[in-house]
Amino acid sequence: MPAFAALRQFPSSDPTSETIVAVTPRKTRLRSDSDAAIGSPLRKSPRLGKEGTPHSSPTASIRKCLKTSLNLSGSPQKKQLSEDFVERQNWNPRDETQRRAVNEALHVSTAQTNVVCRENEQNRILDFCKKCIKEEKAGSLYVCGCPGTGKTLSMEKVKVMLADWANEECIQYPDVLPINCTSLANMNDIFSKIFEQNHSGKKRSRYTSSLQQLQNLYSQQTPGMKMILVIADELDYLITRDRAVLHDLFMLTTLPFSKCILLGVANAIDLADRFIPKLRSLNCKPMVITFCAYSKDQIINILQERLRAVPYTVFQPQALELCARKVAAASGDMRKALAVCRSAIEILIGDSMLSSLDGTEDQHKPAENVSMSNQVRIDHVAAALSKVYKSPVVDTIISLPQHQQIILCSAVKLFRGGKKKDTTLGELNKYYVDVCKSTSIPPVGILELSSMCGVLDDQGILKLGQSRDDKLRRVTLKVDGADIVFALQGVRFFRNCLQ
Amino acid sequence: MGVENPAEVAKFIIRSRIADPLFVYSYFSQLPDSNYSKLKYIISSSVTEACNNSVLLLGPRGCGKTAVLELVLEDLLKEHPDMISVVKLNGLLHSDNNCALKEIARQVCMEHQLQFSKMASFDENSKFLLSILRECGLAHKTIVFVLEEFDLFTEGKQRLLYSLLDAMQSVLSQAVVVGVSCRLDADQLLEKRVRSRFSHRKLLFLSSPGEDFHRLAEHILLLPTDSRLPNDFRASFNEKLLNILAGEEFKRVVDQLCYSDSTVSHLLRFLFCAVCHMDLSSGSLSIKNFKSALPSIQRQPKQEALKDCSILQLHLLVCMKRLEVKEVELCNFNSIMKEYKRIRDSFETVDYYARNICLRAFEHLLQRGLVSFQDSRGQGQSAEFRPVKLLISWHELQQGLQSFPSCPTILHKLMAREG
Repeated sequence: MPAFAALRQFPSSDPTSETIVAVTPRKTRLRSDSDAAIGSPLRKSPRLGKEGTPHSSPTASIRKCLKTSLNLSGSPQKKQLSEDFVERQNWNPRDETQRRAVNEALHVSTAQTNVVCRENEQNRILDFCKKCIKEEKAGSLYVCGCPGTGKTLSMEKVKVMLADWANEECIQYPDVLPINCTSLANMNDIFSKIFEQNHSGKKRSRYTSSLQQLQNLYSQQTPGMKMILVIADELDYLITRDRAVLHDLFMLTTLPFSKCILLGVANAIDLADRFIPKLRSLNCKPMVITFCAYSKDQIINILQERLRAVPYTVFQPQALELCARKVAAASGDMRKALAVCRSAIEILIGDSMLSSLDGTEDQHKPAENVSMSNQVRIDHVAAALSKVYKSPVVDTIISLPQHQQIILCSAVKLFRGGKKKDTTLGELNKYYVDVCKSTSIPPVGILELSSMCGVLDDQGILKLGQSRDDKLRRVTLKVDGADIVFALQGVRFFRNCLQ
Repeated sequence: MGVENPAEVAKFIIRSRIADPLFVYSYFSQLPDSNYSKLKYIISSSVTEACNNSVLLLGPRGCGKTAVLELVLEDLLKEHPDMISVVKLNGLLHSDNNCALKEIARQVCMEHQLQFSKMASFDENSKFLLSILRECGLAHKTIVFVLEEFDLFTEGKQRLLYSLLDAMQSVLSQAVVVGVSCRLDADQLLEKRVRSRFSHRKLLFLSSPGEDFHRLAEHILLLPTDSRLPNDFRASFNEKLLNILAGEEFKRVVDQLCYSDSTVSHLLRFLFCAVCHMDLSSGSLSIKNFKSALPSIQRQPKQEALKDCSILQLHLLVCMKRLEVKEVELCNFNSIMKEYKRIRDSFETVDYYARNICLRAFEHLLQRGLVSFQDSRGQGQSAEFRPVKLLISWHELQQGLQSFPSCPTILHKLMAREG
């Protein structure tokens, strides 16, 4: 693919990438000290200065390093970094049609004609299907992988490619039956669906189930029967305790005159080993194709492929790379990467709306800086990442009313040392009264304490058990004690109390 | 009709404002960076750009999540008529998959005046849902699914969430899923498949009292110019009110109010109470009204029960407390009488009452709810032998004794010694 080769020469080379790695926040950590470096109040940040330098230090250091390593003199990086972006115009985030086009290009549901980075897996599936169809034999294939790795998308592509190939070779194209196993009310319905698809003419007999009819059918030679390709999505919904349904489904393909090609899709890698071990003894284990989580380069490729659909430069290359690195490190889920990109665009639009409200400095800015400030920069992507990966716990604890904070503080003191993991409400009340006494706030009674613990239980910070006696209800902390300490450190009283 | 008292009219206006959530939360709609504007932007951009979206509203109970959502939906229905249809589900009622699909079908049929059949099966309902999504996508109409108590939908196999979010992945449908929950970790409860399809947008409704409340109180309490009140009355009312709101005492009252609960609904209840205490003859609110509203919001039922006790009953309560402190195994009426006798022997100032009088006083304590039996099974036994427990804490008892007029000093001494 020639387009990607050009991108390899990108100077996202080692010095810059090292800087980015050094500053990139690590995986999801509940403590927001790393997030504080990204600077989540970037949304409300005042207008950027005339040179367009952002306020937060990591991005400033990145910019400095980029400038020194690329030896630029303050002109925008895009001239040097992206030759094939030069001929593209810059986009105007305030233009509605442009915004809509970009959002559509980055939306998860937009169908892709060109599915990149999964050619290998698609070819393997395609070869398997071709072999089965040519030899008119049945077979089974199992596709596994984490969510968001392009399994269903690849299946759609394979269907299309198979139809084209069948047309070319003038071979009879099999009936395709896509089933999503979550939509089955009853698990045995899958067999009736297969039966109806293939033999809509034959009536279902009342005395034998669809499974038995299918088994009968496939055990005899029936000339002229069409092949059927079953694509079963979310296969793990069919797992029951005795694993009968899954087992029977795969066994259908092993019957002597079976015409059913089964492609199963699920998340678990070892589904075939764990749930249908009998197949291995019969030597007809399904072929397993694993869709690995996307790596950073693959994510960048896919995003650029999508952005090719719009004729403007929307993202700065470093911004895309930051997004790809973070998402690849966390889960490799493409949906998240797209969500982060859309979120970053919204932050950019929000900032530009704010700036248009202030409105004074647009005329004074030189043209290049206007265009640069219209692209999505690293700070926007960083803010979007922190929104996606940050947990709301710390913010919520900071804004709790005072008595509830005292309750959490006493719970932390109680569970400190790691010996006990849960306690009763009566114990908590004792600690609570002690903490209140040390600061001369009048403590509330046990009834009100119990209702405040109920409110905290609703929010998922504590867990309150049931008991006949109010004082004997068990209380556990569901939030890390360190997060509570971090959240409350702004108040001197709690800081002293929790030392 | 004669001349109405303008104070009455003012009271009526303010009370009806407090009781109307749309008015109250319209204050938040005027702030630039509030959750209202963010939510409105998300839903309106999905409507105009025809893309799918999902968002989660999180916050403690009573902080206004549903009210803000209603406000946003109402505004959007006015701006884009015929382009939005709303389906509301609640996790308490519709967490079962079949139930939820039936309810979705029923609401959609009602809105579009189609025939709804109660006998439709699960398969038919799910096919109906998909076809409705497709049709609405073709007609450029967005369906907004509101899922209240979102965390209750995550129990079980999460089929409904999966099918809704999966349908949104296709380009044919145009829908927005708004989840409302009070659990902060609601999105951690989702299965990884469902979580991958959810867009991770979260709007936190954090209540920050203080100046926010100040402005909210102004928004609600200041009389509007278009009411039928005389101008001079309105001007003097507003001026006095602003003076009160800016004062130190009001700030102290609000601080005390927010110690235990700082959600908006709690503050609204406080304002309502204060307005009800308004003196009609003086014609305006005074700081006294706010101060007297505070104890009626922060009621202490046990203290009120203690206030009505007799001295003998107070003695009995103190005896029970002493037994509790000594961690006596069995505490029933007989052991309380023994303790009472012991106190009588050591302090001569304590009066003597016959046993049956004490028993009657004890039964009154049971009825008041200050004392209760430990187990509900021993109905056959008489009240003298069944074990009992105290229902108030040491601190509450001490507070009650201090505020009790003419409480004998012996009781204070007894409480203080153990405390």
